Amino acid sequence: MSVEAAQAIEFEFECKLSNGLHARPASHLAETANRFASACELTNRRNQTRADIKSVLSTIAADVREGDICTLRVEGPDRAAAMAGLRRFIIEDLPACDEPLAEAALESKAPTLPRGLADTGVTYLYGIAVSRGIGRGAAVVLGRMSLNADFAAEPVDGPAPERERLARGFRAVEARIEELLARNPLGTETGILKAHLAIMSDVTLREEIAKRIDAGRSAARAVVETSEHFRALLQRTGSAYIRERAVDVEELCTELLEEIYGSEFRPPSVELREASILVAETLAPHQLLALDRKFLEGIVLESAGATSHAVILARSMGIPAVVGVAGAARALTPGEPVIVDGDSGLVFPHCPPPVIRFYDRERAAAQRRKAALSKFAQAHAITLDGQRLEIGVNISTAAEAEAGFANGADGVGLFRTELLFAEHKTAPTENEQFEVYAGAVRAGNGRPVILRTADIGGDKPLPYLNLPAERNPFLGYRGIRIYAEYHEMIGAQIRAALRASAIGPVWLMAPMVASLEEALWFKGEVTRGQNALRAQSVAFNSKMPVGIMIEVPSVAFQLKRLCAELDFFSVGTNDLSQYFYAADRENAKLLGISNVRGPAFLALLKNIVSEIRSSGKWVGLCGEMGGDPRNLPLLAGIGFDEISASGNVIPALKRATARLNGVTCRELIERAIQCGTAAEVEALLQAAVPAAVAEPLFSTSLVALDSDSQNKDEAIRELVDTLHAAGRIEDRRPMEEAVWAREAVYSTGLGHGFAIPHCKTDLVHADSIGILKLKQPIEWVSLDGAPVSMVILLALSDSNPKGSHMKVFSRLARKLMNEEFRGRLMEINDPGELISHVGRELEDSI
Amino acid sequence: MKIVAVTACATGIAHTYMAAEQLEKTAKALGHQIKVETQGAMGIENELSDNDIRQAQGAIFAADIEVEGSERFEGVKLVRVPVQEAIKDPKGVIAKIQG
Repeated sequence: MSVEAAQAIEFEFECKLSNGLHARPASHLAETANRFASACELTNRRNQTRADIKSVLSTIAADVREGDICTLRVEGPDRAAAMAGLRRFIIEDLPACDEPLAEAALESKAPTLPRGLADTGVTYLYGIAVSRGIGRGAAVVLGRMSLNADFAAEPVDGPAPERERLARGFRAVEARIEELLARNPLGTETGILKAHLAIMSDVTLREEIAKRIDAGRSAARAVVETSEHFRALLQRTGSAYIRERAVDVEELCTELLEEIYGSEFRPPSVELREASILVAETLAPHQLLALDRKFLEGIVLESAGATSHAVILARSMGIPAVVGVAGAARALTPGEPVIVDGDSGLVFPHCPPPVIRFYDRERAAAQRRKAALSKFAQAHAITLDGQRLEIGVNISTAAEAEAGFANGADGVGLFRTELLFAEHKTAPTENEQFEVYAGAVRAGNGRPVILRTADIGGDKPLPYLNLPAERNPFLGYRGIRIYAEYHEMIGAQIRAALRASAIGPVWLMAPMVASLEEALWFKGEVTRGQNALRAQSVAFNSKMPVGIMIEVPSVAFQLKRLCAELDFFSVGTNDLSQYFYAADRENAKLLGISNVRGPAFLALLKNIVSEIRSSGKWVGLCGEMGGDPRNLPLLAGIGFDEISASGNVIPALKRATARLNGVTCRELIERAIQCGTAAEVEALLQAAVPAAVAEPLFSTSLVALDSDSQNKDEAIRELVDTLHAAGRIEDRRPMEEAVWAREAVYSTGLGHGFAIPHCKTDLVHADSIGILKLKQPIEWVSLDGAPVSMVILLALSDSNPKGSHMKVFSRLARKLMNEEFRGRLMEINDPGELISHVGRELEDSI
Repeated sequence: MKIVAVTACATGIAHTYMAAEQLEKTAKALGHQIKVETQGAMGIENELSDNDIRQAQGAIFAADIEVEGSERFEGVKLVRVPVQEAIKDPKGVIAKIQG
């Protein structure tokens, strides 16, 4: 009903939105109200809170929930029209404002806790695992406002000067935003700036700050408290949209403080002093590089994206990282101990004892695996049929080159030089660059170093280049496209590369090349650099190979001409896939689209490599796709000369190569390309687990005679870990589940202190027997009810029926019924002796 | 006494053979003649012939799954036990034939 009261009209309504009047409906309401001059006030009758509905923040602060009765009061010259418009909106449109927000297609799914933790009731957060490993340290939360004591103190001169300071701050921030708007930025940025301007003029925001200043607080403290106040309010409904508004408010409050206090106010500088887990909404590469790496144990980000540059860096540094962890920056308290599981995407606050024990054992297992892999690092990666595959390392700094070569890299497959440019306030000089490139070349000691000239612009802007913001940065002014404008800068880089080529093998390539013209232009620039150096009598290798990245699909269709002009190519699968599928790789909702195992993308790669190799030129792959050993059969089948990846995966890639059969891989890729979907390719890969690997059934690497496993969970996990360390399985969790599936039928505790868990699965590359002798007997629900001291895991490879050791397994099973045999096994305390004893006993069956 | 037996467990990797071993060992110790057919991951081994079965005073199925060719044992005194029981108490299982 409407009531005419003097100059005002009132209208009463019930909120029918199940999530209440949260940010989105409130913003629509504000939009409607702002079309009119009249004052529009809403009173929530439940809590008697009044709100100016022209202010989104104010409306949200009224906390209108489903079923709340509200009174809308409109007062002013155009009240009749305003009320009519608002009434119609509230009755007709408002209920429709509450459609659930579209969920991200690929939101991180809630993972199941690993066995051993599932029953402990520990709390955890989760996201997408993007950089492997386990990290443990104190939470360091980036980007949260906090005040030092000086600014928190009560002002000595009372509220008046504080109000003045605040007003000055507001004016300055508004002026700055308006100035930016006046430059006519493109769509996205305009939208954000306008939203910021709306928040700055939000009545409630100003009132909340003023209220606190009047109560005697400093402007700084009032701003921080207000920011916290809105954060708490906006957090309540938990939608992503609302969280974004909270971030906006916080960002503007920070700017306000910077305006008011100038350089004195700084968000707390992040200096790591102990083992730390970095927690932030987003992370820029330079923020990551500024941190002391020796204390950085893990990264937890709220934003998603498996290939953002900070994530790529984290991976190359071997720092475990989990992204897309909703609400992490708020859920984790600075200083609290946190464990990050970069394999499963789990994040554990507080670190309770069961979590610590679980992950201590995980780390020990990872150490053992690393030790087992180290022997593969320094050997060439050669397939079973003698095909050599070079394994390179992707780096961003010369120090990473050393680490990569120590891990067995056959060369640097990609030196991302842009970080050199991002680290400085001005472009690095020719000499500075030369020193860095020379460092990498010396570390290589004869192994080639592929330098990629700076891929700047787009998503990697540089303050000193003054590049305009763009609507579509990935499709914009970046890579080779900016070189003509920044001609001297690129000239210096090319000369630095040429000078490094006098020390050892340097290959030089350009990013983002989309046409033959660009490739020819780049070649011309190299010639120009050579001429300049020659004129100065500076040494360089006149035969330094020149190539391009293949990341823009257009060049894939001009390879004949390009091969005639260039020496080599490197396929950047990250950008190539996002351009090929037209799907932004930073957008978590699109991760499912740009699948590098999709048959269309594999066909593209196959065509590219076939064309290049038929011209006798060299082609490598330097995208994230190369870092996963599971892609290796596909990539080897396609016929790349080289795969380049983060240093820490090189040994695993080399070991995986040594098991491949080139012929099988070539058949595999042909079948993969014929597949209809990426899922079919995955299934094909799974089935093609390299069969018939000549691995012995028994090995000391599969024996541990001093296990401190304290229960069945731990013992099975330890055995599975030994198989993993020995490279007999790739995935631990499914293997564990396969063993447990058998235990579910009935316990494999056979009495007399022995248990023989077993399974037949295609997860294991080769038949394997793992043996564990326990320091402390553990419960296994055995046939005789006695605890178990010796656990023998029999893993039968399902994909390898011909080379089956089943006869040995059956003979071993029979032998275990023999008391004397069991007694002898219990006595022997040397792995080698144990294996040879068992071998002798089973001789007639081997 | 002449006994025939068939052992068969779900995965056919271990318990099939452990049960066979237990039955063979125990029967011999008790002075019986026994022949055990295993139906495991290697398929059927030590297969019982019709003759074996005809001559036996009793048959034991120590099996968690269906025994292949169970029709062969028609007319023979048959004891069915889970595999585990044959491993844990082979003597008791053999005694069931006599009882």
